[in-house]
Amino acid sequence: MNMISVEDVTFAMEGSDTNIIDGVSFKINKGEFVSIVGPSGCGKSTILRIIAGLIPPSSGRVRVMGRGIEGPSKKLSFVFQDFALLPWLTNIENVKIGLNLSELSEDEKDKKASELLDRFGLSGFETYYPNVLSGGMKQRVGIARAVASDPQILLMDEPFSSLDELTAETLRSDIVYMLENKNISVNSVIMVTHNVEEAVQLSDKIIVLSNKPTKVKKILSIKTGRPRDKRAASFMETMDLVYAELAK
Amino acid sequence: MDLLGILAQLVLDASASWLRMFIALGISVALGFGIGVLAATSRNAERVLLPVVDVLQTIPILAFFPFAIFVFVVILPGYIGINAAVIFLIITSMIWNIIFGVYESVKTLPNEFLEVARLYHFDLWTKLRGIYMPASFPRMVEQSMLSWSIGLFYLVTSEIFSIGNLRYSVTYGIGSGLVGLAAQGIGNYLLGLAVFIVFVIGTRLLFFKPLEDYSTRYTRLHAKPGMRSYEKALMDIIGMGMKTRYAKRIGVVAKDIRVLRKGTTGTAIRTVPVAPKPSQDMGRIAYSAIGLVALAAAAYIIVTNPTLLGYEKLVIPALGASFIRVWGAFAVISAISVPVCVYFIFISKRSQHYLLLFQILASIPATVLLPLIAQSLHGNGELVAFAVFMLSGIWYMIFGMAASTRTIPQSVFEVKRLFGVKGIYAWRKVYLKALLPGFITGAITGIAAEWNASIVAEYFTTSGISASASGSAVISSVGTGIGKLLDTSILPGGLGLGLMIIALLNIVVMILLLNTFVWRKAYRNVAKAYG
Ligand SMILES: Nc1ncnc2c1ncn2[C@@H]1O[C@H](COP(=O)(O)OP(=O)(O)O)[C@@H](O)[C@H]1O
Ligand SMILES: [Mg+2]
Repeated sequence: MNMISVEDVTFAMEGSDTNIIDGVSFKINKGEFVSIVGPSGCGKSTILRIIAGLIPPSSGRVRVMGRGIEGPSKKLSFVFQDFALLPWLTNIENVKIGLNLSELSEDEKDKKASELLDRFGLSGFETYYPNVLSGGMKQRVGIARAVASDPQILLMDEPFSSLDELTAETLRSDIVYMLENKNISVNSVIMVTHNVEEAVQLSDKIIVLSNKPTKVKKILSIKTGRPRDKRAASFMETMDLVYAELAK
Repeated sequence: MDLLGILAQLVLDASASWLRMFIALGISVALGFGIGVLAATSRNAERVLLPVVDVLQTIPILAFFPFAIFVFVVILPGYIGINAAVIFLIITSMIWNIIFGVYESVKTLPNEFLEVARLYHFDLWTKLRGIYMPASFPRMVEQSMLSWSIGLFYLVTSEIFSIGNLRYSVTYGIGSGLVGLAAQGIGNYLLGLAVFIVFVIGTRLLFFKPLEDYSTRYTRLHAKPGMRSYEKALMDIIGMGMKTRYAKRIGVVAKDIRVLRKGTTGTAIRTVPVAPKPSQDMGRIAYSAIGLVALAAAAYIIVTNPTLLGYEKLVIPALGASFIRVWGAFAVISAISVPVCVYFIFISKRSQHYLLLFQILASIPATVLLPLIAQSLHGNGELVAFAVFMLSGIWYMIFGMAASTRTIPQSVFEVKRLFGVKGIYAWRKVYLKALLPGFITGAITGIAAEWNASIVAEYFTTSGISASASGSAVISSVGTGIGKLLDTSILPGGLGLGLMIIALLNIVVMILLLNTFVWRKAYRNVAKAYG
């Protein structure tokens, strides 16, 4: 089933006539993990924000499960590179932001937020402020907030790039687990990254973007199942392919 | 009166004054938050509000005080009217800092936070409660402390103002209380001064310190061991009086006040009225528009009412006389403050101690010291006025320059040391250049403060009032001046409202002209040179 279709989207800053994004189209199916890679400053974050409904495209459109979008919707959620936790809220309050729209009572929200923190290994830190946490713990709070409202699509903008490699690896498998577990609402993931190895390790599809103009250069499919062996010859080959596309 | 009676009276007076201050602070925070958020979140509001706020904070608000009393007393029954006027005046001194603080906090919020709000569909209230309020809270607290110091000057001044005036005067107030005590002798006056200072320090410890702690709760890892609670700091302050050696005492005060004043920059400075870049053109247009409206209004009133033409003949020489006093005092302030700043900022190893000493001194309003000044200057009106001008303006200059040097990278001084830059060459190439931006921002705010002071200083030197307003010392009258003119116009037998309005319009036009042709230009040149 088609979860997201991006149809000929362009974007220019208000009052500027140069397009930051210049006619980008792709589709994402149910169950897929999709990575977007491209040179820095080419517009990856911008595309992700357009899909999230945070900024409107200058032309073209985005459809989520067949419907056009007006603004942020409950079907999608967003994980930020720098976590975007509100520093003046405790961790549990930050997770509860994800439940802002839900019909649950305050007690039920507390219970659910607390369960989520527990699931991400943060029980005991509910009433602390984010600033006492390590980067990896902060991003767990960020992910807990993102999945609190049971979204079907998870958008992630370089979610692991400010974490150390060990922490990042654990979080990557957490995300894959959520995607593959049928009891968890998330059934598609779009991740922006500049880490080619990470993209090859996780993705079913890699969308390679060009810079100036920003267009889709190539869409690579990877059929092997996860987890993938990074030392396998096919893994190396795929990485070389992506690097070759980027360098072109 | 026995000592206990005097003390009880003083505490009652100070409490009444502090009640006025808290009401004014509450209103300023509420309004300042609303206006600040509006300016930071709406492009259109920003275009209108920033230039207007910018203009308003350079106009000597105190000039409007006689007018405000007049209006409030007409509208409201006497007792409420005079208090409303005093509170209004304090608000006009407090609110600008707070607006700019909130504006900056909201403007510099990470974009991601606002995206979070959009992703989870925050309504207006959730956004205010959940993002704007906590985001601007630390700056609001910091700016409120600054506003409090500035407000004290206005509080004391406006209370004293109401004394010479038989028709309206505050019954209880530390300002009027001090004047009454000064009439009874220097001992009682010093007691009053001590009570005033205890209230200042007490407010800092018992009101602002907990707020400050709360506002930084989420930036602290854990309450650091060894960090003083405010009770402990209070004990230190009390204990400090027992230390014998004076030099040692200064050191202790400085250290303790650092605990008290942690995080604040100069007590008596307003935030610098630099219009943010995008609004500069709008700012100029707004300046011109307000200036033209004021000019047109003045011209219209004068032309349609020939007797007012006679008022202009009074106003212009008065404005001229005050102008000479203000700029004369400014020249002396510059001559003192620049070397002082070069010494304490660049040369001295104890910069922090000096800064703290200055902060303590600056938090005592010049008007509280008036009886002392009058006595030591033998009641010479011109000299008293001059002293008040200087005390009102100099702190803005010193703190302005100190603040502007804080952003100079350490490497600049390392370069100076590496290449052995010394003596006159160091003054010309490093010190003075480093101080220049701060000098200009300090001058803008300092001269505005001097104009405010002119309303006060010339008032006290107006014969007939001086005896009651300065305690025992009789101060001779200054020749003429805009402050004197404004003050006397509504006294019984004065020329009345017409003269007052003409005088106010003249002041506004003068300030706007100076802003446009002197300060903006100076600022632009410096901004260009310094990038
Ligand atoms: N707020 C902004 N103002 C001006 N230019 C912007 C802004 N945000 C992004 N850009 C420009 O848009 C382009 C794409 O930005 P972004 O989507 O963040 O790139 P990426 O995430 O691929 O590094 C960049 O060239 C950047 O300079
Ligand atoms: Mg990006």
